[in-house]
Amino acid sequence: MTKSYYEFFCPVKIVAGNAALEHIPHELRTLAAARPMIITDKGVRGAGLIDHVLGAFAESGMDVVEIYDDVPPDSSTTVVTQIAKLYRDSGCDSIIAVGGGSVIDTSKGVNILVSEDGEDLTAFSGVGVLTKPLKPFFVVPTTAGTGSEVTLVAVIADPEKGVKLPFTSYFLLPNAAVLDPRMTLTLPAHITAMTAMDAMTHAVEAFTGMGKNPISDAYAVSAIKKISENLMQVLNTPDDADARLELAQASTMAGIAFSNSMVGLVHSLGHSLGALCHLPHGLCMNLFLPYVLEYNLAERGDVIGELLLPLAGAEVYARTPAADRGRAAINTLREIRDELYRRCKLPRSLSETGKVSRDQIQKLAEMALDDGSIIFNPVEVDLDDAISVLEKAW
Amino acid sequence: MKQLLQLKLGDLNLGSLNTAPLKRPYVALMMDVIGRGLEASSQVDANIKREVQKLPDGFMFDMRALPSGPCFVMEKNADGNLSYIGSEAPRKPDVSLKFKHLNHAFLVLSFQEGTARAFANDRILVDGEIAHAMKLVRCLNRMESLILPKFVAVRALKRYPQLSLKQKLAGGGKIYSRLAKNLVWG
Repeated sequence: MTKSYYEFFCPVKIVAGNAALEHIPHELRTLAAARPMIITDKGVRGAGLIDHVLGAFAESGMDVVEIYDDVPPDSSTTVVTQIAKLYRDSGCDSIIAVGGGSVIDTSKGVNILVSEDGEDLTAFSGVGVLTKPLKPFFVVPTTAGTGSEVTLVAVIADPEKGVKLPFTSYFLLPNAAVLDPRMTLTLPAHITAMTAMDAMTHAVEAFTGMGKNPISDAYAVSAIKKISENLMQVLNTPDDADARLELAQASTMAGIAFSNSMVGLVHSLGHSLGALCHLPHGLCMNLFLPYVLEYNLAERGDVIGELLLPLAGAEVYARTPAADRGRAAINTLREIRDELYRRCKLPRSLSETGKVSRDQIQKLAEMALDDGSIIFNPVEVDLDDAISVLEKAW
Repeated sequence: MKQLLQLKLGDLNLGSLNTAPLKRPYVALMMDVIGRGLEASSQVDANIKREVQKLPDGFMFDMRALPSGPCFVMEKNADGNLSYIGSEAPRKPDVSLKFKHLNHAFLVLSFQEGTARAFANDRILVDGEIAHAMKLVRCLNRMESLILPKFVAVRALKRYPQLSLKQKLAGGGKIYSRLAKNLVWG
């Protein structure tokens, strides 16, 4: 099922593999930058990951000028303003975000303020408000899931008004995403599993949604294959650097796919569940993925069926009749989830989370209908449909 | 009728006719019809009323074709319904649905491309709160399902709702009568 028109855009340089971090000084120089600031959080610093980045600057003739390591789990305008002041006071000329979604979004906000010489981040909220390139900005992901290193959006909370501000601009895309296996090597099993399923969902929804296109399809299929082949290997052997790198690449590829094709109902429901019950995004994705695919199966079975190849491999694909491949693909995802539950207790249903009550289903469904991603779901969803999927996911 | 409609729309959509003189007035007319239709629907249809109820008081939105194409502006009034303001917004609307080109508006408003497909094809920019924009899309979908003949509505909607002929005629009839009343009495 193709569409008659599509757009695809990803200008982010991918710097990936063994000793990738050591390429950062050179990459900064090519952008005429020499005084980088690292933005990270306590967890990343505590895990010793910043030491790898600092080590990469040794013998490079360049130093990291400033490190801010107190980004909270939910980025806020207050923190962004504070970091922007530190950036200016220290005479920095570039930003290296080292962390997960919150660190990356916070860094995008900081880059807006320091590049636009502004004080009030809210003035730059919205679509297309930014009109010129920002300061050199590199991202070093420390989880393999969000794909934020290749997306053009940031969501930052305004604590004064109690709202989450969206920022959307091509200028928010980093200059480079640096994928180094050292940065995810110590990620605990349950976070590895959760973030990998986040990436898996990005890729699956990119491939099955209304906005799919031939180029995003290529990224999505490759991402799914890498996750299917390497997730259990990483859980079996956490210090397998090659398998870790495969997951990191899969996450970035899934990020490229979904930022060019958008996502669907799994994200609509997941965003609502995350907001209402404060559950991690990756957990929500893992939870809803098969139920939403089942909801879409009748109308999208052929497309879902194509996923059996990257999910289960050529032999399984070849011996499964075409008409059964959609169901088989969903079953394969269920098997992966069952294995993750066995290993890490990653919940597969709303009840298994222990944090959702059944009377919240109506509210969750109403919130999901107002989520922007629902419009890209290939099958129409009304309130009763959303409730029905949530009931099945109970 | 169906073949005639397709033929005419097809003619208008030829590449050489991208700047056809009829496109702009057609889009302007359709935007006027949709604006007035939404006003009437918000007064008589329970589903649309429910959606509008959840929008903030004084909420204003517009739909326009960039850069300076036709536009309609609506506002939630004190009665909790939508009022058709016209083609000039008195202030920056809370939500703006912007077609990137007149031709993209034409594709949607001539029902050659559904609303959801237009979003997926990057034809439309949303400026403002997405949750409000989603409510507006549902209002538009509901109105289209009631007032358009089924063979046209199925082209505009992802899924045509289960409506009996009675429901369709009664719902559409109410909207058309209110539309006529609003046009005559203001």
